[in-house]
Amino acid sequence: MKPMMSCHEKEHPELAATTSNNGFSWLDDSISFLTAADVDIVAGGYEEWWSSPAVAQQDDIGSVVAQTLSPPAPLPTTSSPLAHASSPAVSSPLEPSSSKKRKSPAHRASAHSSTNQRRRADQLHRPGASGGGGGKKGGSKGGGAGSDRDMRWAEQLLNPCAAAVEAGSMSRVQHLFYVLGELASFSGDANHRLAAHGLHALARRLPAAVGHAAAASVRMPPCDCPTPAFAGAEPRLFRASLIKFHEVSPWFALPNALANAAIAQAAARGAAEPRPLHVVDLGVSHGVQWPTLLESLTRLPGGRAPPAVRLTVAGPAATPPAPFSASPPGYDFSPHLLRYAKSINLQLSISRAGSLDSVHGIASPGEALVVCLQFRLGHATADERADILNKVRGLSPELVVLSELDAGGDGTAAGEFTSRLELLWRFLESTSAAFKGRDGEERRLLEAEAGTSVASDPAGEGREAWRERMAAAGFEEAAFGDEAVESAKSLLRKYDGGWEMSASGAAGAVALRWKGQPVSFCSLWRPACSG
Amino acid sequence: MDVTMDDMAGDLEFSGCSSTTTTTSSSSPSLDDGMGTYAWNGLSPVADWGSFYPDDGGQDLHGLIESMLCDDTLDLSPPMFTDEVYCYSNGSAPSSTTTTNPSTPVNDGDAQQRGDGPEMGLRLLHLLMAAAEALSGPHKSRELARVILVRLKQMVSHTGDNAAVSNMERLAAHFTDALQGLLDGSQPVGGAGRQAAAAASHTHHQHTGDVLTAFQMLQDMSPYMKFGHFTANQAILEAVAGDRRVHVVDYDIAEGVQWASLMQAMTSRPDGVPPPHLRITAVSRGGGGGARAVQEAGRRLAAFAASIGQPFSFGQCRLDSDERFRPATVRMVKGETLVANCVLNQAAAATTVRRPTGSVASFLAGMATLGAKVVTVVEEDQGEAEKNDDEAGGFVARFLEELHRYSAVWDSLEAGFPTQSRVRGLVERTILAPNIAGAVSRAYRAVDGDGEARAGWGEWMRGNGFRAVPLSCFNHSQAKLLLGLFNDGYTMEETSPNKIVLGWKARRLLSASVWAPPPVSVPSSPAEGAFQAVGMSPASGGVGRMEFDYIDSFLVEPAYALV
Repeated sequence: MKPMMSCHEKEHPELAATTSNNGFSWLDDSISFLTAADVDIVAGGYEEWWSSPAVAQQDDIGSVVAQTLSPPAPLPTTSSPLAHASSPAVSSPLEPSSSKKRKSPAHRASAHSSTNQRRRADQLHRPGASGGGGGKKGGSKGGGAGSDRDMRWAEQLLNPCAAAVEAGSMSRVQHLFYVLGELASFSGDANHRLAAHGLHALARRLPAAVGHAAAASVRMPPCDCPTPAFAGAEPRLFRASLIKFHEVSPWFALPNALANAAIAQAAARGAAEPRPLHVVDLGVSHGVQWPTLLESLTRLPGGRAPPAVRLTVAGPAATPPAPFSASPPGYDFSPHLLRYAKSINLQLSISRAGSLDSVHGIASPGEALVVCLQFRLGHATADERADILNKVRGLSPELVVLSELDAGGDGTAAGEFTSRLELLWRFLESTSAAFKGRDGEERRLLEAEAGTSVASDPAGEGREAWRERMAAAGFEEAAFGDEAVESAKSLLRKYDGGWEMSASGAAGAVALRWKGQPVSFCSLWRPACSG
Repeated sequence: MDVTMDDMAGDLEFSGCSSTTTTTSSSSPSLDDGMGTYAWNGLSPVADWGSFYPDDGGQDLHGLIESMLCDDTLDLSPPMFTDEVYCYSNGSAPSSTTTTNPSTPVNDGDAQQRGDGPEMGLRLLHLLMAAAEALSGPHKSRELARVILVRLKQMVSHTGDNAAVSNMERLAAHFTDALQGLLDGSQPVGGAGRQAAAAASHTHHQHTGDVLTAFQMLQDMSPYMKFGHFTANQAILEAVAGDRRVHVVDYDIAEGVQWASLMQAMTSRPDGVPPPHLRITAVSRGGGGGARAVQEAGRRLAAFAASIGQPFSFGQCRLDSDERFRPATVRMVKGETLVANCVLNQAAAATTVRRPTGSVASFLAGMATLGAKVVTVVEEDQGEAEKNDDEAGGFVARFLEELHRYSAVWDSLEAGFPTQSRVRGLVERTILAPNIAGAVSRAYRAVDGDGEARAGWGEWMRGNGFRAVPLSCFNHSQAKLLLGLFNDGYTMEETSPNKIVLGWKARRLLSASVWAPPPVSVPSSPAEGAFQAVGMSPASGGVGRMEFDYIDSFLVEPAYALV
């Protein structure tokens, strides 16, 4: 393991700076690191997983029927049909070939990968164009997009069911509950899991939508998730699961890496003398994000490493409850992180803040203050969001990192459900690929926590809405440095080929996508000059 | 082309397949014969579906479906929903790391779900409905249908030949197979059912034996077959009374059982009138198998005719490749009274289930041009759902209609035969399963607004100049007597003077109706005179003879037909 890692670092120093798994050695637990070989297995398994349903769908009658009958009307509950129509054309032709290429270390040479990335980015910017290279599968038929959607059967039951719940048509609800109850499984493939989580959410939603009396008349199939979510997890399993998830999926790892790169950049910039760095952690990484940052700070060139680093962890109470923000009682990453900082000769202090108000007392002049706001506000109401952002603005940070899931409903409860379901689908599908289809308690814990995202009520918002909100709070958007984006791209190649990222120009957020569909964005903000 | 088979009568083994009960006119002993052989009455129906209900009223399969469908009045009485029955164990072995098969749902609690009961039935019904929905409508998804069918198969996988499972499960198994047939795009020629396919792989001879046994058992178990056969035969007998030569063109001869009983009636007249010569032309479909099966039915009939002294000959005519009927393929013989028989509810394995729109119409129209004197039609009765299906629910509504119909058939069989009977399984497998496959397939391919799919053939025939021929009083009472031999649940309805409908409780199953084709425009047709005589011009001498015979048959025939 160790020789493997050092070899890896030698080959790609720039990669290691931001992405090295070495940072995880601050944990004493024996954790299996991904080696290059492992990555290839991920890719190979994915390929197999990806191709088999595509082949199977060729000889069904559905396509024949679809051609015979008039094309089906667009699903009324689908929020963004256009986005779906474009997805397979972009992602499917590219994936198998690119994942194969990753098998050979020689192909990881930066020259090649950058052209590869450019090609990818180009395709992302022109989603309508079916992928330039090897479009055998995706390009063969215009119905490709429909087939992809066709494979996602759980949503075809859950979305009508959500609509029926909101409309109060109880016989329809009952019918679909029966069907979902038969097909739902928390341990099947991604569709079965989505059905299980979605059914669970709908069952909880039902009384509020139709009234308790009506809800009581519906026969409810058992749909409680057998795995406790984060708050009820066993601490060791909790930690192991977080780390494992970082290794196998960029869902959080990529936004974290981008944030770290931006923070390191901010620390290195500015005054002639290195200043202390103060990071306010309003995120969901539960400490997993920071070893990499600390390590990269020690590597800052020209002795610009900050003389001291202060980490203020804003607890769950600092924001409204959000998925992935809870942690089990008894979990504390501070001792590990402090020990690790000591081992790399970095002066680190960690404090906890119950709310953002108490951060005011901790912040001191002369330090570079960075607020990391990651995945904590997706389930907050508009007022709560404005409140939090105003408080962040009141801290006058040098930099704010904002990462959120990139999704938005149409304002209706059913539309909101649909939108969340799509995100959960991306989570479940990508996580299934990340774990190579294998089930296990780590995967189940993460999925149980992710499943809670469907149950919550308020609306998620896309990037544009966030932009307006940040501007309203007195921020202006900043750009990621080229190195930050490049190293993030390098990091992404470690993961399943279904992942893509795009940086939209000089002053844009970096978007993370799964199979062409938006998952999250990561953006940088500074207090507006005028303010 | 036309093979006269009178001379081949000697070498057939008809007796092996059919006791006399097959062909005797439904005397009550025929019920008892089956008992001795299969001891079906010795088994107690403990796992009987109905035993879950304290009262008999409406709480059968059919009632279950009704309860599922009634809008927003979910009659979910507590005893129907016990949690144990509906329990999963998805979360078992949480610490193990296993590879899940992406194509299979991981519902490992099937053993617990065997609790059966009405809850199981409801779950199956909802899944069946959802699968039908997934195969049709604006949100069509073959993947969803596939997943649902996989689950359905898991739930009914333990049926097979093990008859100790609930009625609903076995009915659901057949409908699952039928839907799977749609999904696979297989044409259910010769039966699309899983078991039918397995049966088809047997040697043809053995298979035919099974089917014959099944037909016989079905006859003994329910009036389902005889109702149509008897009514049609009686109408034919009345129409050809006094004629020396009779030629029946049969659209779907199946195993030929109907004609054995016609011959029996012709040869056993107490007034000593010698039987007329009977010639049967069976319509056969393309493909060697169909023609061979028809040929075999002919050989059996010829043997039977010889054994009872019925002058008989047999021939085939083939449909076009698109299953259209061409009158020219029928060999006509001068002096024969022509009759068209069209029984559309028997889709045994030997029959071609696939019946493209237009095939039946071409037959009816073609027989009119040949100058048929009478046309008998037996068909499944089209229910209410057909009449007001909105565009979206086309196939789903028709599919539910078939579920309704066959649940009533199942219930009626349940009343005559307990579930545990091996024989019952044989009947379901060899007759009802292909029937269901055919019905579901037709429901799927039917175009909304197509007259055939909606209203049955009566409407079409009326619109095309066919005239209703009232059923005789005797025919009515014969049907009533027939039903009297079976369970109380069977009903008979006269929806119009020329049509009677067999029902099970509130549900209509099938109808038999009698028609006269419109006058033939070409006057050279030999049968024309006879045809026009039927009650149309009182001045004609033929009419008097007809009416006399009609009365004659009314007075005389009960004696031999039913006792």
